[in-house]
Amino acid sequence: MDSERKRIITILVALCMGFVLLIGYLSYFQMFKAQAVRDNAYNKRLWINEDNILRGSIVDRGGEVLVYSESRDGETQRIYRYDNLYSHVIGYSLKDYGKSGLERRYNSYLVNANENTAINELINLINPSGVGNNLSLTLDHGLQKKTRELMNGKKGSAIAINPKTGEILSMVSLPDFRIETLSENWTSVSENPDSPLLNRGTQGLYTPGSIFKILTAVGVIQEGVPEAIYQCTGSTVIDGYTIRDFDESGHGPLNLEQAFAVSCNTYFADQAVALGHDNLLRIAETLLFNQKIGFDTETNASVFPRESIGLTDLGASGIGQGRVLTTPLNMLMVVSAVANDGYMSMPYLVETVQSPGGMTISSHRSESRKVLEIGESQALKRMMREVVESGTGTNAGINGVKVAGKTGTAENASGNNHAWFVGFAPLEDPKVAVIVLLEEEGASGGRAAAPIAREIIKFALNNITN
Amino acid sequence: MKERLNSKAPRKLLFLFEILSLSLIFLFSWEGIQTETYAIAVGLVLLIYFSNYMLGRISKGDNYVFLIVCMLVSIGIIMIYRISPDLGLKQLMWLALGIAMFFAAYFAIRYISFWDRLTPLYLVVSYGLFALTLIMGTRTHGAINWISIGGVSVQPAEITKIVLVFLLAAFYGGDEKYRRIKNAEILLMLVIYSFIGLLFLQRDLGAALIFFGIFSGLQYIYTQDRRLIWANLGLAAIGGIAGYILFDHVKVRVTTWLDPWPYINDKGYQITQSLFAISEGGFFGTGLGRGNPAFIPLSYNDFIFSAISEEMGIFTGIGIIMLFMLLVYRGFKIALRQDNQFFRILALGISMVFGIQSFIIIGGVLKVIPLTGLTLPFVSYGGSSVVTSFIALGILQGTSEKRGKAGIGNG
Repeated sequence: MDSERKRIITILVALCMGFVLLIGYLSYFQMFKAQAVRDNAYNKRLWINEDNILRGSIVDRGGEVLVYSESRDGETQRIYRYDNLYSHVIGYSLKDYGKSGLERRYNSYLVNANENTAINELINLINPSGVGNNLSLTLDHGLQKKTRELMNGKKGSAIAINPKTGEILSMVSLPDFRIETLSENWTSVSENPDSPLLNRGTQGLYTPGSIFKILTAVGVIQEGVPEAIYQCTGSTVIDGYTIRDFDESGHGPLNLEQAFAVSCNTYFADQAVALGHDNLLRIAETLLFNQKIGFDTETNASVFPRESIGLTDLGASGIGQGRVLTTPLNMLMVVSAVANDGYMSMPYLVETVQSPGGMTISSHRSESRKVLEIGESQALKRMMREVVESGTGTNAGINGVKVAGKTGTAENASGNNHAWFVGFAPLEDPKVAVIVLLEEEGASGGRAAAPIAREIIKFALNNITN
Repeated sequence: MKERLNSKAPRKLLFLFEILSLSLIFLFSWEGIQTETYAIAVGLVLLIYFSNYMLGRISKGDNYVFLIVCMLVSIGIIMIYRISPDLGLKQLMWLALGIAMFFAAYFAIRYISFWDRLTPLYLVVSYGLFALTLIMGTRTHGAINWISIGGVSVQPAEITKIVLVFLLAAFYGGDEKYRRIKNAEILLMLVIYSFIGLLFLQRDLGAALIFFGIFSGLQYIYTQDRRLIWANLGLAAIGGIAGYILFDHVKVRVTTWLDPWPYINDKGYQITQSLFAISEGGFFGTGLGRGNPAFIPLSYNDFIFSAISEEMGIFTGIGIIMLFMLLVYRGFKIALRQDNQFFRILALGISMVFGIQSFIIIGGVLKVIPLTGLTLPFVSYGGSSVVTSFIALGILQGTSEKRGKAGIGNG
């Protein structure tokens, strides 16, 4: 073949490759990216569907209707039966301001635009329906109400989960907002310095304080030194900077289990330095830090500094201070993995999507990953039980039920401590794990957060059977 | 050709496609149906069927390219009619004119033999059209690339594009006296760069890309001095970077290509609306008449691919891409079969125009490459675009027939 022919064919091949690239990208776009693009609040088509289709309803795990739509004088109206009780979970759906929460993530189901598979599309073309699909949630309306009551007047978040399955049982974030009147009050709500629109449970980033010691403890167990005796004098100097205990008189000699029960800062700060940044970072990232948790509503990624940090910062990280930030959901997942023998069942809210006729269109596929060795989770369980039995978390104790947990009192820029409690029960066969965060509460986790967690756990164990 | 390709079966399939999609339009607009709907239906079917039939009798060349184009045109007209019946009817008239010009161009190539000796004329016409645009041009959508002659808007760059192919074919495959000039190839590069520079000034980035693409492709095949290929690519890179730094309109294209979402309400509006439409369509589309292509700006023109993807699905979108791929493939095959070098280069150049232009605009609306305003040949609405595309196709048809080597210089 002469060189001219060869070169002509080269150009032809190049052009054809260009076209193949386009075909490949178009298919890739349709399969993996189209859904997210379609759900963009600026997409006017979302609202076109809205006007023609009665948006589906959302029910709790017992079938209690939380929100539904009805047609009044030719106009569709969304009825929020419990309004601000679900303002962060269900979210809003407003023409002028877009959507949030499940209304946003499950929009295409709720307006019956079905999943983007070829078969579903054909079915939809042949048999379009004017009514959207319904969502069946994992939430328990009773527990949600109870949680909201317990948290009333506070700022913060409380979440309850079934650690074995990942079902979210209740999720409250305060302050919340009224969905029905959000449109009229948009400016005052969205510009409120307390950010009521933010779902603090999944998106708020907070200094974890002592609840982070669970991760440092994992490191100590992995290093094989949980029994080593440490002398606590009430303060420790790391790289010229002093880290102090709550009680400056010192705890005296203690091993990991004892240090955990009294939440000894000097012990965990020194252990973090001994572990080193790489080890602590690895443990934190195994336990979902620095990554967005895949969930049914928007989440933010918790932060553990990736770049190497100074020893002082490292010591502070070991006790959950310094630059470490977590979402309540993230720490709840850590404890839920401890409760579930080291397996983390990823959290979810939507159990099934059902067609208006009651046929299940899609149901949740649970995803579980191993994040802790069985030895680690058993040791942590024992230690967390100790905290509630005789340590800082006694306020979470319930007669006749073995509750396990960890308290946290996190210093932050506001000057008022965050109060944390995270725990689960019953110890032998965990059915519920709970996290309570009281933002800038100015009281210790054991005093302020643990009693709320206790009531949530009690209610959940008494009322949720299935 | 050992075996004559049988174009009867595909002609019938094309007929079937048109009947089906037209009945969809009838169903969709049953209540508001007007006489013009019948006019467009009967007109389209007759026009396409008979022009194919005629071509089969007249030309012994490759009759497949026209058939491929008829499919593209049919999809285009049906979509345009669905977006705006007025424009659909107009497009049908442009199509009639386009097919007439197709035959005219075909006969001109078949019966006129001195095309390769007109280099000076090509230069004069090119620069003349540029001058005309700069003097009389009106600005639409950011680019000054339209002129109005007697009330009819024409886009001169569409014509210059074809003249450029003739110029390059004449240089590389025609009269040798120009190639014997000292530094002839460098002079040619300067001429082409001056074209591209003028297009840049008119803010017609899409056309500038096509010019560059055609030139680079033909230079790669035919230049004697292989170093010039690298020089060309190097200069293009420098020019691209300089353009990015110097011109805001280039910067905007790149920014909205990398991430249009923060600019969804202003400069990223077009591309995001296009992506909304494509994502809405899914695999099979919402169905003709059941989507909202009117949300896309210029849905009947630059963004017709997105509109088609919305209502007919990405399967049709992929179909369109494959039709262009086939068209380019047939065009190159015509070139490889052509013994006369001038006509061979002509065939290559025309095929490259179709290939590069469709790649740039489809890639643009998909956000694979930065968006530059161009029509999708044969599919988009627009007189200039339809007529010049059919002229180009007529030329390709002409080059698909055997030409003697004699009588015409060969290189």
